Amino acid sequence: MIEAAAQLAVNAIALGAIYALVALGFVLVIGAVGAVNFGHGELVMLGGMVAVGAATLLPADTALPGLVVLPAVLAVMAVAGLVVAAVAYAPLRRAPPTSVFIATIAVGLIVQHGVTAGIGPEPRRGPPLVDGGVVDIAGIGLSHQQLATIAAAAALILAVHVLLQRTRFGRRLRAAAQDPEMARAIGIPVPITIAVSFALAAALAGAAGLLLSNQYLVTPTDGGMLMLKAYIATVIGGWGRIWGAALGAFAIAVFETLVAAAASYLVAEALLYVGVLAVLAFRPRGLFGEAAGRRA
Amino acid sequence: MRRLLPILLTTAALTATPVAANATEPVAVSVLVPITGFLALEGTAQRNGAVLALDNPPPGVTVSYQVADTATSPEVAVTALQRALDRENPVAIAAPIFGTQMLAMAPIADRAGVPLITVSGTAKLTELGHKVVYRFFPTDAVVKVAQARYAVQELGASKPAILYQTTAYGQSGREHLVRTLKELGVEPVLQEAIDPGIRDLVPALERARAAGADSLLLQLHSGPTALAVRQAHGLGIGLPIVAGSAMHQPTTAALVEPVELKGVCAETASSPVSDTDGEMAAFAEAYRKRFGTEPDAFALGQYDGMRMVLAAVADGARTPAAVGDWLAGHRYRGLAMTYVSDGTGNMAHDAVIVCYDGVGRVPAVVKRYDAVDGVK
Repeated sequence: MIEAAAQLAVNAIALGAIYALVALGFVLVIGAVGAVNFGHGELVMLGGMVAVGAATLLPADTALPGLVVLPAVLAVMAVAGLVVAAVAYAPLRRAPPTSVFIATIAVGLIVQHGVTAGIGPEPRRGPPLVDGGVVDIAGIGLSHQQLATIAAAAALILAVHVLLQRTRFGRRLRAAAQDPEMARAIGIPVPITIAVSFALAAALAGAAGLLLSNQYLVTPTDGGMLMLKAYIATVIGGWGRIWGAALGAFAIAVFETLVAAAASYLVAEALLYVGVLAVLAFRPRGLFGEAAGRRA
Repeated sequence: MRRLLPILLTTAALTATPVAANATEPVAVSVLVPITGFLALEGTAQRNGAVLALDNPPPGVTVSYQVADTATSPEVAVTALQRALDRENPVAIAAPIFGTQMLAMAPIADRAGVPLITVSGTAKLTELGHKVVYRFFPTDAVVKVAQARYAVQELGASKPAILYQTTAYGQSGREHLVRTLKELGVEPVLQEAIDPGIRDLVPALERARAAGADSLLLQLHSGPTALAVRQAHGLGIGLPIVAGSAMHQPTTAALVEPVELKGVCAETASSPVSDTDGEMAAFAEAYRKRFGTEPDAFALGQYDGMRMVLAAVADGARTPAAVGDWLAGHRYRGLAMTYVSDGTGNMAHDAVIVCYDGVGRVPAVVKRYDAVDGVK
């Protein structure tokens, strides 16, 4: 009984950490351009597929294949993010936010159908981060894979936090997000900052895709569902709030695992959306308030 | 936009070149199946099965065909159907596995009198009086009966837990499973509905264990089936699993380690990869050579359906009405089974149970259930 509860708790943390990575990338773009990237879910899926493809290039006996391919996934997805910025944002930067989100829907569909046409529609399994063993902690067996997933996601989230809060780039990015005109006036290269935000968001999406793909598989049509989770996490945490979105992501994972185990998936889902409605009714700017100036 | 873009993007790319086999007057066949969207896996298998049959017509038959993507909305499917009827004048149409699309297409095809050859499992399709729907895959009234009977009569299950998808596919399967179990005197200890977007199935498995289940009956799509099998193994639940037809698909088995498949069985219409010789093995080899992937029962059902259409044409049926009459009035020995209409267009009445040995990913057929719905 205790072991089952512990296993579920670890699953909730691992899933929440992955969802948090998805939501962080989503919020980064909202913060940078004030519009939603509706293709973000497809970028997560693409990251998973890139990981699957990269792993096939490794020798069969490679240790820690997931960790080995992680840098490549981050790099490829950062480039993908730059392409999304160039195609779906840059030409529309003076248009209303609705134009940007329609453009990102189109990009997402192109990615989804491109993957289906290119490699097929079947679900795929990405490389494991570590071996498939189990570690015994206080008599409870926890899988190496889950623990490694939590560690990797935590490291990436911490890195993003440091980047945004403790570096010159982070300060520039936040300044450009809060007041682009003023940022431009004081010499901050706003277009480059925005492009880098897209790249960083896509890299985080890629990392999330890699982490999801081994434990939970990856399918070309996963994007919409992942996008919905990121959106809900953002609504819960506060529009444009990075830590709020992470908290919202963990809340979704808790409902999907712990609440579902105690009641059922249907009850858990219903309770989650009741919670979302309550947030909208009583804290319409999210639990942590609204950071971005405009909603799309 | 989301609904129209797939067909715009893919129709041109997927339109096949007409095939010329010999000097006889060619007949046209349209292949309208979902190649993008959430049913792309099954739709691609459909397309492959149809194309393999149409590329190899019987002597004396010349066929031209075109493939169009119906994606996942009824509007796109109806547009594709109308376009095919207007431009191709087909004698028959390989039609989507997606029941919602079929329900929208059937009245139009009815008016045109053109047979729809499908592997869709949606029960209503053959209950609404359409004269043109021909289903070459057993319905839930066949395969779910086989699944429940195997669990109860062969494995001795008396307290099964049912994990099913919240989709129409999942709910229809659950309904037939519960009904059959009741007829066998068995009450499920748990019926857990699972949204396709759920990533972690451990909560459902733990609830099954807590409910005292002695077996797991799955009615899940491909990815969730693989997850359930893997996570059940990881948790050491140790219960026999009898899964739905998604498990027999080689693409599902590829997501699971062989050792995790030990003790896992599944219902299906057929298992083309399981035979090592004979016509079925030749079909599987030709399929691999043509498409670079493994065939499943959906591909074989669609292949058999199109082969029956071609047999009708070879027998002199050159119009949609003649082909429809031929399908309704003849028995046809396909690779998966012998097909005959029950009077409503249900052509498939047999099911098999396949099981994995824990060593490989190719299952063995362990039990056949013939004429499950009483149609022989």
